[in-house]
Amino acid sequence: MTPAQTAQAARRRRLTPRLPGAGMATRAAVTGAACLLSLLLPLLLSQYAMSVAVTVVTFAILGLGLNVVVGYAGLLDLGYAAFFAIGAYTSSLLELHLHLSFWETLPLAVIAAAISGCIIGYPTLRLRSDYLAIVTLGFGEIVRIIATNLNVTGGPNGLYGIPAATVFGTSILTSNAQYYLGLFLMAVAVAVTGLLSRSRLGRAWRSLREDETASEAVGVPATKVKLLAYIMGAMVGALAGMFFSARFGAIDPTSFTYNTSVMILIVVIVGGMGSIPGMILGAAIVVALPEVLRPISNYRLLLFALALIVLMLARPQGIWPARRSRPGSFTAPPEPAGEAPAPAGRRSEPGSVLLSVAGLGHSFGGVTAIGDVSFDLHAGEILSLIGPNGAGKTTVFNCITGLVTPQRGSVLLGGRSLRKLRPHKIVRLGVARTFQSIRLFEGLDVAENCLVGLAAHQGRLLARHGLLGRTTAADRRQALRWLEFAGLSGQAHLLAAQLSYGDRRRLEIARALMSAPLILLLDEPGAGTNPTEKQALMQLIRQVRDSGVAVLLIEHDMDLVMGLSDRVIVLDQGHTIAAGPPAQVRSDARVIDAYLGREETESAETVEEVLGWRS
Amino acid sequence: MSAFLQYVVNGLTSGAFLALVALGYTMIYGIIRLINFAHGDVVMVGSFAGYTIVTTLVAQHWPVAVVVLVALVAGMAITGGLGMLIERVAYQPLLNSSRLAILISALGVSLALEEGVRIIFGAGFSSYPNILPAANFSLGGAHASYVQLVMFGLCLLLMLGLYLYVHRTATGTAMRALAMDRDAARLMGINVERTILLTFLLGSVLAGASGVMQGLYYSQINFIMGFLLGLRAFTAAVLGGIGNIPGAMVAGLLIGLIGSFSDGYVSSQWTDAIIFAVLIGVLVFKPTGLFGERVAERA
Repeated sequence: MTPAQTAQAARRRRLTPRLPGAGMATRAAVTGAACLLSLLLPLLLSQYAMSVAVTVVTFAILGLGLNVVVGYAGLLDLGYAAFFAIGAYTSSLLELHLHLSFWETLPLAVIAAAISGCIIGYPTLRLRSDYLAIVTLGFGEIVRIIATNLNVTGGPNGLYGIPAATVFGTSILTSNAQYYLGLFLMAVAVAVTGLLSRSRLGRAWRSLREDETASEAVGVPATKVKLLAYIMGAMVGALAGMFFSARFGAIDPTSFTYNTSVMILIVVIVGGMGSIPGMILGAAIVVALPEVLRPISNYRLLLFALALIVLMLARPQGIWPARRSRPGSFTAPPEPAGEAPAPAGRRSEPGSVLLSVAGLGHSFGGVTAIGDVSFDLHAGEILSLIGPNGAGKTTVFNCITGLVTPQRGSVLLGGRSLRKLRPHKIVRLGVARTFQSIRLFEGLDVAENCLVGLAAHQGRLLARHGLLGRTTAADRRQALRWLEFAGLSGQAHLLAAQLSYGDRRRLEIARALMSAPLILLLDEPGAGTNPTEKQALMQLIRQVRDSGVAVLLIEHDMDLVMGLSDRVIVLDQGHTIAAGPPAQVRSDARVIDAYLGREETESAETVEEVLGWRS
Repeated sequence: MSAFLQYVVNGLTSGAFLALVALGYTMIYGIIRLINFAHGDVVMVGSFAGYTIVTTLVAQHWPVAVVVLVALVAGMAITGGLGMLIERVAYQPLLNSSRLAILISALGVSLALEEGVRIIFGAGFSSYPNILPAANFSLGGAHASYVQLVMFGLCLLLMLGLYLYVHRTATGTAMRALAMDRDAARLMGINVERTILLTFLLGSVLAGASGVMQGLYYSQINFIMGFLLGLRAFTAAVLGGIGNIPGAMVAGLLIGLIGSFSDGYVSSQWTDAIIFAVLIGVLVFKPTGLFGERVAERA
């Protein structure tokens, strides 16, 4: 096995669901028992243990909030305590100065945290996730240092005399009462983050976590979606902060240090990223373990540290990792009568110019990838872009789809310029693509890979479908229809990482078609396919064309190109050297030169042999 | 003016210590994409190793030069071994797991080192004996000691050595290749596990040198000193462009200077906020750090 294969095998193993015996019924029973136990806890434990339980609940809320950022969206945040602090300080200051009640300050504290989530998120959106880690860490420290040095926040002494929360006129003072209030807030956090995880936004976060470029290329507005992860996470953190300040009646900056951020991160990772029960379990371990070790106080943190290492070595995926969608759960309801069985793209007038590329040019450093490329793509045709390696074909694709902003020239879709539009906008306008090196969301199942593609024509993630918009039956039907179209309907519940090479190519096409494109850009779909698969692929591409989607194809396989294309464009060293129907291009002297070099003695037979062009 | 120059002198000294630590962060990050949270604590262990050696040998009236040399070399050897041990035990089994699992493992190691040292040496400050000559010379109104000069020179020498090793030798090339693509490097016959181990050895040796020198220079050390040091050094690594060795050196010196100016002109309470604000500001305009990163984007 090559290392790459080993790594992939390891990844597959890791991705297969754990807790194999835990079926639906078992899970429900465990959850029910846990709920009952948590409600009865005050009857079983001492006052001291209950105060520890209140801390567990606080950290569970914090874990749930950070889980949105780290677990769902895959963004490393090392300064999460900042939102904890902002919630605590906002609520306390409003209570102390404006004499608002705990519940009145709730929306304001949550909003303050959301705004700070925007502030931290915004400048970091363009950063890779590793830089994000240090920037969030810095943000956390800045918030703490500001709180330590300002007068309004009480400086290093903090704020005190913060009134306790009241429920129905009763002050929440005892550990038991605080526990129930905390449990209620935790239930709110569980409900909100659970809904988010199952929403379209949740799916967009997961796709972003798996592959940001691919995610944008199927229509997910990456920056907005990332920002929303910060904001949602921050809001939940603020909830914990308010609870914390009302519980103790006093806060000071030492509660919101980098160590707090780290503790919360440990809750998330030890519990199992992305998993809601994992967060509660993680909080219980992180808070209770040092308490249990209290009798050997001098060694307890050392033992805790060693336990942490051992735990990670034994279960790197966390104690209760997120559950994947259940195998076989992806069944679409029956087709409503009257709906056409064949998938239909957006129709456009056959023969009209859909995409017009004119004078396109781009250089990387001193290397001119494309010098001057112009062509039109008509509705209802398959147009192939061929040329030797390095001719600039993929760069043309990247310029059209917005991954690269071309330095010269224009790209017009139905007369509208695509220049400088973000990739997800371009998908929404109707240009979908696949990648030369397949880019699937490996950790999502096949059906979910497709459903991410819905982001494109659902548009405004927030406005039209609501933040928590669930996947509708129609969505599922549509996904299944495209999977069927691509010949993958039997594999809907598998992880993308478990598919064979040919299936992976087809899934990428199905995912692109989910955005209901006008134009499909295929980057070497035939690479690595065997002759049988190639035939099936050709059939598939023809069907795509017949469904009303124009196809722009990059391909080296000449059988495929010559068999499929209505027209062929030949690029060499960044310039168009020939264009026309396959037969005409095949006999073009400049094309032969480009592929074989200028060798006058070369016989026509050799050319045919080398290129595999057979009529 | 003389105050300004004094801040420059102090900033360059602390910056040189910081740069040595930043190199470890940048190398380890470059090669396994791990923010090695334990690295600052490795420096701390180096400081305590040096402290133990210095106090023992001074009590036996060894000559100062020998004491310093032995402490430096032994300190570097001890942290080098510690770094390799940490990699073997806590990181290597997790190299193919999620990057966050390894991060938490690193946090565990960090806490374990801090707690281990606290249990042995106590929570208070330990003081290196004052054995270095205090001879000064004037530098345009600012004072610099010969010790400062020698230490600064030694830091630069170590950095230069590392740079040449990584950029001019076959093993160094293997390291850089590994940072770009682990699988491809393995296919080219590079012993990946050993090269990663070697990276930890080098990073930790530099950390040890920095730890012993800081102990000798500042005298006061405690079990928690690695935290702030690690934070600033990691900031320097990111500021310089992660994976970029000369970048980490320059950014280390720069952070030392910023810290020194902030301590002098503003207030030491705001120093870390200012350092992070500079970092965030730089990253907003240059997302790959001042000098560009040298790691391949994870495919």
